[in-house]
Amino acid sequence: MAKSKKNIGQNVFNDYFTFVMDERENVVLESISPLKQSLKEAPQLEGVPSGIEGVDELFYITKIKDGKVIKQPLGGFPRYAVINVTGVSDTGKTLMAEQFAIKQSSLGNTTIFVTVETTAPFVSASLRERASAMGINPSSIEERIIIIDAASYDQLRDDIQTLLNTLAYSIKKYKAKNVVIDSVTGLYEAKEVMARTIVRRLFNFMKKWYQTAFFVSQKRSGHEEFSVEAAGGYAVPHIVDCNIALAKKSIDSSYDERLYGLPIGEIVRLFRIDGCRICGHDTSTRLMTITETGLVVVGKSLKELKGGGR
Amino acid sequence: MMKVLEPTEIQEYDVDSVAIRVFLKALEIIGGPRKLIEFRNLTWLPSLMSASYAVVLLHESAKTEDEIAQFLGIARNTVRNILRADPELVKQRLSGELETPKKTLKAHTAGGLAKLAYQEIKEGRDYLELFSHYIQTTSEIYGVFWPIEILRRIKGLDFPITVEQLLERAADISIEDKKLSELGERLPKEIKSPSQLLKAIKEALG
Repeated sequence: MAKSKKNIGQNVFNDYFTFVMDERENVVLESISPLKQSLKEAPQLEGVPSGIEGVDELFYITKIKDGKVIKQPLGGFPRYAVINVTGVSDTGKTLMAEQFAIKQSSLGNTTIFVTVETTAPFVSASLRERASAMGINPSSIEERIIIIDAASYDQLRDDIQTLLNTLAYSIKKYKAKNVVIDSVTGLYEAKEVMARTIVRRLFNFMKKWYQTAFFVSQKRSGHEEFSVEAAGGYAVPHIVDCNIALAKKSIDSSYDERLYGLPIGEIVRLFRIDGCRICGHDTSTRLMTITETGLVVVGKSLKELKGGGR
Repeated sequence: MMKVLEPTEIQEYDVDSVAIRVFLKALEIIGGPRKLIEFRNLTWLPSLMSASYAVVLLHESAKTEDEIAQFLGIARNTVRNILRADPELVKQRLSGELETPKKTLKAHTAGGLAKLAYQEIKEGRDYLELFSHYIQTTSEIYGVFWPIEILRRIKGLDFPITVEQLLERAADISIEDKKLSELGERLPKEIKSPSQLLKAIKEALG
């Protein structure tokens, strides 16, 4: 919010000029359209590979063939969806975000990575490491992941409109298809009362620019562990399209030992898609592991585990 | 090394220029600066400026009441009164309030005015005088003079306007070898703002 020494008169002029030239200003009338027209303009429902083993087949569409309902996997997150992943620390949220960005960029889809928690050099190093673990040459994706360092530049973190303007600039300049924000929580730290407003602005922005977006949300200690409630309450999950809840559980009974096949005192990570308004999705709680090379893998459902073996 | 956006590429939001636009529009709503002079109410201006900033900081920058109070150097309660003001109520009361000289403008009145002005700006209706001035400058740079003439002719009309109102005043204006009256059918029946009007004419020209 620091006052710049820019020529205010010039800025007023620029605003007017942009205002005259920018056709997006007059949107109210255009926002009313009959269903038939809206359907014509509606995007095709298709998947974008997540880069996370075990996730792509969990989103599906249903078709009716010969009177029977058939599930057809999307092969990834629904395109143009805003996906929110929530969990306590060390559940693998950032790893998932990185895998998504790397996979998408390896497919030629430029991805903007807004880092709010860790500065760009560390994110860059982490992305390179993750790419190698995924069997992707880091050099091949360097031009397709654009990092916006909101951890280093306060104005991006503190002023939502500056962040949105910068995102719009980056999407146009680099022809981006995806946006990752790690984490949205960092954008309303110490002012959770604004969480809903900020996430709504981000959500609307992603829709306007036809981006598939992946938001990371952090939990506070008081939140129920395996829910999508995060900092800002339930504001975030209510707004976004899809929610994924991650949790950690300690093995503290012989029943757990048998179920998870791990000794007492160990930790298991759990994964659940907690809702997706765009398409059908798996609803089971699943075992999630982080491999030695730091990759998130989503495995069997607890129901399957109970049925026998990991 | 991954590509990192340069600090020079950060598109900083200019809250000052938007707040000034809101302030000027609020002035226009109450009849312009001359009216404030006439009723000896020029002391309202600081409150109006604060209210303009408060409304922009809330709606554009998602600032909290505390942050706005700190930025403007005013009490949090004043910010709250500004932001909770009912613009419609202020609109109704305005004429009476303006005619009674007051040293200070109540926070809720300033807030209501700023909110009204902000809504107008969002719908594309900036302070017309200033808008015309900048359009004139731009038009002279590009050697296109019809926008100036159109804005001059519609001066005093309250937006939204109808095509009939427009043609009543400007049907004879020549735009790229055509009369504005020839373009009438291709213009929207209701025109929300001067900027929409100019854009619609440009589009109608093909």
